Amino acid sequence: MRSPRLPEQPPPGPTRPSFWRSPLRGPWLASILGSALLPLIVVSAVTGFLSQASYNPGLGHNSVLPGGGLGWDVFTFSWPTDPPWLYAFTQGLHVICGIAAIPLLLAKLWSVMPKLFEWPPLRSLAHLLERASLALLVGGSLFVFFTGLLNVQLYYPWSFNFVPSHYYAAIVFLAALALHVGLKLPSVRRAFRDRGILRPLRADLEHTAPEPYEEGTTAPLEPRAPTMSRRTMLGTVGVASLGVGLMAVGQVVGGPLRGLAWLTPRGRVGDGPNGFPVNKTAAARGILPAETGTAWRLALDGGSQLRLSREDLLAMPQHTYDLPIACVEGWSTTQSWTGVRLRDLAARAGLADPDRVLVESLQKSGAFRRVTLSSKQIADDRSLLALRVNGVDLSPDHGFPARIVVPAAPGVHCTKWVGSMSFERA
Amino acid sequence: MTRFRAAYGASPLHLLAVIASFAIAAYGFLRITESPSPASTLIYFAAAVVAHDLLAFPFYSALNLVAGRALAAPGRERATNLGVAPLNYVRVPFILSGIAFLLFFPLILGLGSERYEDSTGYGVGVFLNRWLLLCGVLFAASALLYAIRLRLAASGEGD
Repeated sequence: MRSPRLPEQPPPGPTRPSFWRSPLRGPWLASILGSALLPLIVVSAVTGFLSQASYNPGLGHNSVLPGGGLGWDVFTFSWPTDPPWLYAFTQGLHVICGIAAIPLLLAKLWSVMPKLFEWPPLRSLAHLLERASLALLVGGSLFVFFTGLLNVQLYYPWSFNFVPSHYYAAIVFLAALALHVGLKLPSVRRAFRDRGILRPLRADLEHTAPEPYEEGTTAPLEPRAPTMSRRTMLGTVGVASLGVGLMAVGQVVGGPLRGLAWLTPRGRVGDGPNGFPVNKTAAARGILPAETGTAWRLALDGGSQLRLSREDLLAMPQHTYDLPIACVEGWSTTQSWTGVRLRDLAARAGLADPDRVLVESLQKSGAFRRVTLSSKQIADDRSLLALRVNGVDLSPDHGFPARIVVPAAPGVHCTKWVGSMSFERA
Repeated sequence: MTRFRAAYGASPLHLLAVIASFAIAAYGFLRITESPSPASTLIYFAAAVVAHDLLAFPFYSALNLVAGRALAAPGRERATNLGVAPLNYVRVPFILSGIAFLLFFPLILGLGSERYEDSTGYGVGVFLNRWLLLCGVLFAASALLYAIRLRLAASGEGD
């Protein structure tokens, strides 16, 4: 199905093989970069789908996807509370691997750029379909990685809703990636068989030879003399990937490692027991001191309806646990929380084994101003309505007078400035 | 089978895999269209390809070419560089600080600073300083390595 209007010979410019002169490009380079990139993408994808599951999207208004998001692609199992660092781990991996993948992705795109201009542009129906899928692959990878990256920096230069676009674009991207991996596997195996998996890394600049030219591959027809060995090139990409990856690690692990978060957004902590990182300040959420002062009451509903003051809550049995707050943006912080068990509150409200609880915040805006927690989350001993942290009262930014802390739940489900809790049976 | 290959350009297995992939991709796109502003999502999808393939790639390739012409030739200025090409000692720290900028430019340039301050309680001003410091360290380390290489080359010539 060669188009009759296109000349047999490519026009001058990037469509000619002689245009591409880097001596480093070739099937081996593309294969090694692809092989390094793939595991990072797989981990990011799996942890991304798990993050959706962690919201217990089947409960109440928890789903952040349109129409409830309960398609075949959304897990609907009840998210566990053990180990308590589960979400810090999975979401930390999601952001770490996503950030670390970007330098490798850019290098991979560089290594295969001649393919964009291959001649003739369309050889057959199969070729047309494959190239259309590659457009989805390239567009999808850039879209998914960069929207995620800008989201963690709280910068939104677009008008679409981040979560569904990031989530469903990832499905488009992964569909194209699965096809790409399947179609390219033979070339990768051949490149590794011909050149060895790591053998080309042994060559210094003097011994860096181009991969042999073969029509239809990215190996150069007229290579320039090398100015960089493959190991220097891949080493630079590897250092970039490792460097930005470690910056992402620092804001998950915290403690002395938080200093690694040099350019990632959550590298700073303040002084004192309430100095750990905040997501949304009280001022930003319009929480007024008058609402949280002595007039504050927790509206509790579970058959009987109660209004409890902070003193009433402090008079109930208090429990202390070290638990992480783990944000979807890939940072976390473990603190020592003290407060009332959620199941004690359920019993106080007259419902011993509730199926869920609707928690509502005093905040008037924000997608997570109300959240539904599962029976499993309520039943866990460590699930608290926390009143104090690290031995002192919660600060206004950390949710004074009371906030939820649930092990392994995403941070936005640890509602701050709690105004009401309704325990319910299904 | 050979007739199929002649007409289609690949094996039937290829076609099945392509159809499966497009079906799932179409599902993803369909779900995006249920979100509040689907058209803009799709435009950004295409814009990402154009921005990378037709703007960023030619731009950094041109930079690399210019740097190569200016700094690569080890023989031309033997008197000053002793046969040690300075190119990679410029290129490597440039690539690393460039990648750091590309990844964290919103914080470095203070874009969306209001939202950042509302969320974290901190200002964004620190990130420009931190990035500049990173550039300083990378280029200084590279300069040091280059100086050492020059020194070694010079002492080698003296032998």
